[in-house]
Order: sequence, then C-alpha cells, then structure tokens
Amino acid sequence: MKTLNTSNLSNIVLKNAKFWNGQKFEQRDEICVDAVKGIVPRDGFEASAEIDCNGALVMPALFGLGLDFMEPLRDDVYKYADGIDAMFRGGFYGGLYESAANPIDDADKLTATANRFRLFGNRAHDFEIKFLGAYSKGFGTDSLAEMMELAEAGVVGFGDGNAAIPHSRFLRLAMEYGKMTGKRFFFQPMDKTLRKSGCVHEGAYSDMLGMKGIPRIAETVAAYTVLETARFLQVPVHFKQVTCGETLDLVRAARQKGIDVTCDVNLYHLLLDDSCLETLDSAYHILPPIRSAADRDALWAGIVDGTVDAISVNHTPVLRQDTVVNFEDSVPGALSLEVALPAIWNKLVSKVGEARAIELLSTAPARLAGAKSAQNNFVVLAADKPHTVVERDFAGHVCNSPLLGKELPSSILATYINGVYTQL
Amino acid sequence: MSALEIKHLFGLRGVSKHDIRLILDHAKQFREILERPVKKVPSLRGMTVVNLFFENSTRTRTSFELAEKRLSADTVNFASSNSSVKKGETLVDTLRNIEAMKIDIVVVRHKGTGVPKFLADNSKAIIVNAGDGAHEHPTQALLDMLTIEEKLGTLEGKNVTIIGDIRHSRVARSNLWGMSTMGAHVTLCGPSTLVPRNTELMNHVTWEPDVKKAVANADAIIALRLQKERMDDALLPSMREYRNTFGITEELLENAKDKVIIMHPGPINRGVELDSDIADGEHSVILDQVTNGVAVRMAVLFLLAGGRNNENA
Repeated sequence: MKTLNTSNLSNIVLKNAKFWNGQKFEQRDEICVDAVKGIVPRDGFEASAEIDCNGALVMPALFGLGLDFMEPLRDDVYKYADGIDAMFRGGFYGGLYESAANPIDDADKLTATANRFRLFGNRAHDFEIKFLGAYSKGFGTDSLAEMMELAEAGVVGFGDGNAAIPHSRFLRLAMEYGKMTGKRFFFQPMDKTLRKSGCVHEGAYSDMLGMKGIPRIAETVAAYTVLETARFLQVPVHFKQVTCGETLDLVRAARQKGIDVTCDVNLYHLLLDDSCLETLDSAYHILPPIRSAADRDALWAGIVDGTVDAISVNHTPVLRQDTVVNFEDSVPGALSLEVALPAIWNKLVSKVGEARAIELLSTAPARLAGAKSAQNNFVVLAADKPHTVVERDFAGHVCNSPLLGKELPSSILATYINGVYTQL
Repeated sequence: MSALEIKHLFGLRGVSKHDIRLILDHAKQFREILERPVKKVPSLRGMTVVNLFFENSTRTRTSFELAEKRLSADTVNFASSNSSVKKGETLVDTLRNIEAMKIDIVVVRHKGTGVPKFLADNSKAIIVNAGDGAHEHPTQALLDMLTIEEKLGTLEGKNVTIIGDIRHSRVARSNLWGMSTMGAHVTLCGPSTLVPRNTELMNHVTWEPDVKKAVANADAIIALRLQKERMDDALLPSMREYRNTFGITEELLENAKDKVIIMHPGPINRGVELDSDIADGEHSVILDQVTNGVAVRMAVLFLLAGGRNNENA
C-alpha cells in the first residue's frame, strides 16, 4: 500500500540538520519552522513536533517542469491526487503542468483543469501549479488556440505538449499571433518526418537491435526552424528536454544573436545512455529518446557552462498494462517526481556545486514558469544514505520508472510542503 | 552429450561458438534422418510446442512445424489473425493463457524487437525466436551456416557477402553475428539508404558499396529479399534501378569466384534480388537452405529441450 505518513504540523523544530541559508549549507542544532512565517527564532516558538534530521540536508523544495498526471484518461489508475502525492514524496512545491492528452486550448479548459486540480487534487490548492496553454486547437495544425484568452486566464506560456514542431507556416502564424500575449513558447524540438516511427536513439544500439531510430537531426532541424522563426518574430522560446549537444550549440549561437531562448534537460537524459536498450526493458522507453553516452556528456557540459537553464522532470504516469509489453509496443514515459532529487543530487553537486544544483532544480524552473520561489517549503535529504527504489515509493497504481529496482545514492527522509510534514 | 549454454534462443549475438557448433553438428545428424524413409524420431514425444506467430509466415512456420512433428512433439499453431490478441488481449496475457495449457516450448515471431526475451522473462516455457522485428532471425542464420558448411566444408575463413536491405533485415543481423563468431568474414553491400548508419555495428563486418567488389572474393553470396514498401517509403527509387545496381545477375557473377554459392532466405522476388536463371542455376543452393531449415530447427528444439531421448536421434 502506498500511503504516506503525513501530518499537518503547522510548527516544527528540525534538529541536527545542515540548513541551506541561501548560499551554503550550515550545521544547525535546531531550526524552527512556522508554516506561515517560515524560519523563526526559537524564543517563544511553540512546536507541534521536533524532528531529528541526523545531519541531513534541509534544502528548498523543488519545482517540476513537465508535469502531466494524465487524468482524466484513467482516473482509477492515476489521479491528480496521486500527482500531488508524488510531489509531497519528492519534495516538489510546484510545477509547470501541460496535458499531452487533453490540450488546454481555450480558457474554459484551463479553468476546468485548474479546478480539477483543486477539487480532486485534495491538498493541491496550496501548490504552485502553473499551466501551459496550447497554441493550436487540439495540437493540430489547422486552427490557432485562443491564446489571448488563455493568457488572460493565466497560462504562463504556450506549448503543444509533446507534439512535434508543426509545419513552418503554422509555426510562424502561431508565434506571430501569440507574440501579442508576450508569453514564451515552449517546444519539444522534434521534426516528425525525421522521427517518423522511431522510438529510440538512432545509434549503435538501434542498429544492433534493429529498432527504429530517431536521429539527432530530428531535434536539431526542428530547433533551428524554431530559432529562426523566433529571431524573425522576436518571440521568446524555450526548448524542453534537449537531448544532444548539437541542439545546445544552436542555443549558444542563438543567444549570441540576441534570441531569447531558454532550455531544459530531462533528468533521465542526464542519468542514462542508450546502452540501457540492451535490456529491451520498456521502462527505458522515454521520448525524446535517451541518447548516447557522448550526448549525455554534452548535456552535462551544457549544465556546467550554464547553457542549460533548468533540469526538468517530465513526470508521466503510464498504465501498467501499457508498460508490461515489449519495448516498441509500450507507451513512452516515466515517473520522476518521487526519485528525481535522490537520483541526481550528488552527481549534480559534484559537477556544479550546491548553489547551482538548487538553482537548476528549484529556482530556475520556477522562474521559467513565472512561479514564486520555494519559500517555506523544503526537503530533508540524506545525501549519503543510499535507497533502493521499490514500487511503494511511487504514488498511484503505476510505477513506470527506469530507476525501479535501482539503488539511488541519496534518500529523501522527509518533506515539508505547504505546512504538511511527510515522513518517508 | 554436451549441453547448450543458452536456455532460450533469442538471437545469435552473444551466443558462443560452442553452442553454434553444437547446433550445427546436431543439425547435420538430423539432416541425415531427413533423408531416411522414416523421418520421424521420438525425441520430443510428450512435449508440446506452440508456434506463436504474430506476423504472417508460411515458410518459417511450416519449417518449424515440420521440425516439431519430425521430433514427435505435439504442435499447436497460434496466429494473431484468429486469436484474442485481435480483441485487445495483451501479449503477456496471451502467453500466460497458452502457458496455462501446459506447453513446453514457444516458437514466436513478432514485429517487435525483443518480444522473445520479453516472453521468456514472463514465462517458464523455452522460447525460440522465429523472427523479432528487424532484430534477429537466428534459425535462418543457422540454416545459412549449415548450408555453407555443407557446400564449402567450413565457415572458418570463408568470405560471405550479404547484399540488399541490411538495415531492416533480421536475417542479416543474425548472420553477421553468427558467422563472425564461427570465423567467417562478412561483407555487407546495399544502397546507402538500406544499410546501418552507425559504425559500431559495421566494425564487425566490411562495408563495400560497390557490388562488383563485394562479390569478387565471396565464397557465398546471400541476397536479401527487398520489400516493396521500401519504395513507398522513398528509400529506393524503383525495383528496376535496384535490380540493375544490386541484383544478382549472370553479368555480375562474372566478377565472382567460379564456385561461389548463391543463397536467399526466400521468398524470392525474381528479377529483383536474383535473376531467375541465377535462382535456378548451378550456383544456387536455395532449396538446400529450405531442407536445412528443418534440420536446424530440429536441432535447436532438441537441444533446448535438454537433448532428452538423445539416443533415438
């Protein structure tokens, strides 16, 4: 059973923790947390609980780029409430939501989705959830979405889910019209004709296994088209889930020309490479595909030199029956909220240090989504305590993650989100 | 008797020389049995084999079925066109239902890479790959190897040229892994849109774009079937140009060794991969391949089943 040990502890004292003071972790015997005021002095503080952190890190909660809880596709399997549950478990205080299955292409749909979040997401009302609106109706290429109304209703930008880049004329028209809103356009750069029916990275392993590959140029051709259109129209753009160094090169060059372009890299593209295909395990079926070790290294280089603005999670539940099939017939997607921080923290810190690591996982993604910062929400992480991922770590009735069964270098001990303390 | 190191046959990549040798040696014994008036042995009596074919197949399925019957196994054919798969049943449920009927061996063909391994991971049955996507078709490669050994004495040091749609060919992949393991030197030749794009795979073979050079030193030439949909997909301009550039013709064979053997996994597009006079000519060993297919499949099934009743073989 995947129930969480949560409690509404309005005021808590964390003892024996390394607390993030905004610049570095400092050892503190105790930290008093008021759910409303945040960190407060000990004097006069009435705690409802005292929690021994055993020297663990207490850091700002995370912000997730790329949330899609799939409801209402199969709300018996995964609900908004499960997504919220996953955010509690993983220490996420907010996220940027876009539905791949149910395009938010008018203001009514935005309102309906936001309401469903609040109604069915149980404790969701306090989460910092932002929404992307679609730029087309139904992720198609025939009609523009009502972007002006969507912007007025509160979307923070426009994107057509995981759909490939539309044909050039529609792309231009969408961005030209959407420019009136002043919002950023979010794209997963993918040329659908170059992708065709590919499902894995086109490389040594796709050749050896006879699987249909997605070449890097499917991404770079699309990225170049978007950047040229952005340059021409002077519209800010964001690339979601960049997978290869060549795209980062395009981003660097575009910035030099003055194009307003930001980008993120998916957690799993930093952790894995396509040698995982050898297992033929559908858990590795992720789109855009996990690329080669050289590509992964290029992404890390982009993290280190600052080209990459943020690390995204792209949390995508997939029904169990859609994963318990052979690789090519499986539905792509991976859960990540519950495992993101312990999976990547140590490596990220070793590459860029603690401050930049927190920026990449929390403040930068929030900034991209126009969200407030973590404020009084935080995660307690035992950085050196390994944890083997098991099914009950995940919320809902799904567990599609390539990290299932793997040992993570760190463990989340607890999270404190919106005044809810969750012991893990 | 020596036993196979593998428990299932998913493909030939990673299969040891010992195992391939064992299969080929047993296949030679079964080949002799196939020449007898009574071609049946009781090796798999009491065992049940399911031929689980999710793709259309006449030759391979018939060859497996014949091999199973020659080994006295009880045989059931299961085709997706008349199965509950059409009604939305998942692959693993299909397997579990079949397995609940107490079957011992599953021979599977499927469009998806890795389906045989997936089934093995979810079942107790012995799994034999009869072709998974563009990944592997190990028994076809084994019968190709048996045919080459039969005609040329050995695979060691022989030059084998595979011509055609390498990229989409499970036969080519199994052959290059298996033949490389057995000491043959494999050369691949085909249109640039139909060969693997990445050098890692090509490190195991020689890539020769010039078909005349590709056949010049070959002891055996394997022509691959060209699918019509490759033209629809703009990978090739026309059958005609393919035939004129890569087809095995009398004229092309003037560049080859006198004793070269010509092979094809079938079915042949006559006048495309092979001219008719080549397919039916003195160099062709295509019908021997078909006969050897039964023997190789008998050997694979027999050895994977544990080689029981070996004394009857």
